[in-house]
Amino acid sequence: MAAKLNDFYKQAAQEFGLAGRIKLAMLTKISSEKAEAAEDSPENIRIFEQALAQLRAGG
Amino acid sequence: MRISTKLILFFCGVVTLFVLLAVALLAQTRTVSAGYDALLARQVRQAEEARVIQVSFKKQVQEWKDILLRGHTPDDLVKYTRQFHDEETAVRSGAEALAAGMQDAKSRDLLEQFVAAHKTMGEKYQAAYDAYVANGFDFKVADKMVRGQDRAPTDLFDQVVKRLNDEVVASVAAQERAVGRARNLALALSGGLLAGLGLVGFVTVRAILQRLGRLKAVSDRLAKADIEGLSVDISGPDEIGQFGDSMKGVHAAIEELMRLASAAGQA
Repeated sequence: MAAKLNDFYKQAAQEFGLAGRIKLAMLTKISSEKAEAAEDSPENIRIFEQALAQLRAGG
Repeated sequence: MRISTKLILFFCGVVTLFVLLAVALLAQTRTVSAGYDALLARQVRQAEEARVIQVSFKKQVQEWKDILLRGHTPDDLVKYTRQFHDEETAVRSGAEALAAGMQDAKSRDLLEQFVAAHKTMGEKYQAAYDAYVANGFDFKVADKMVRGQDRAPTDLFDQVVKRLNDEVVASVAAQERAVGRARNLALALSGGLLAGLGLVGFVTVRAILQRLGRLKAVSDRLAKADIEGLSVDISGPDEIGQFGDSMKGVHAAIEELMRLASAAGQA
């Protein structure tokens, strides 16, 4: 289970609402449903960190 | 590799191929031209010079007969004697010059024999001429002295002419064979290269069209929001791969939207 990846979705929802979740899915190319099944691998975590940073930067 | 890079490389390949073919054809044309130039400069020229000498020799013999026939008239005797010696000089100097420039040993040997025979014949003709004048222009005496004397040099020179003509014919045939071989090689090379380039182009275009087809299928399903079981497995470093990567983002966003909508509906 990818607890950390789910945390990224929760973080995006808290900061940017539903649009933030959709944008995070678009940037990472991994929906929350697939994130739940994915591994918390260093590569996935790096992708989500970068995407969240991009959201915060207004991207 | 990006599609634009592939297309540029393919275009450059085609241009390079045609430039190389043009250069090769130019070089081949120059080789053929040089071969024929060499043929014209030596063998054909020597054969032509030999024919001129052959004609001069026949004219020399003709002038001798004119001396015998019309030499009883002083003016004609002077005229035909001068013409006889002019032709004799032309034959002798022409044959010596031809022998000096002759590369074929057999032809050179025949020419040297001809020059010696012609010189001997000239001495006999001079003796006959002296007898002709001394005997009151009695052509029978003079003719008897030199009858058949021109046969040996004539036969020798005919052999020279035949040998030179045969050499020209053989050289032309060899040149034609060389041109044929070069032409076949050029055809095979250019045909092979064009076929190879065409195959590469066909394979490249087919691969691009196949991937575009898969991209369109994904795009069509996304446009209909038909994402159940949809997998966007189009990747690669080219423009289609980049487009497929963007489609994955769109796919994930629609999935997320559908999940949120579903959750909102259940609430």
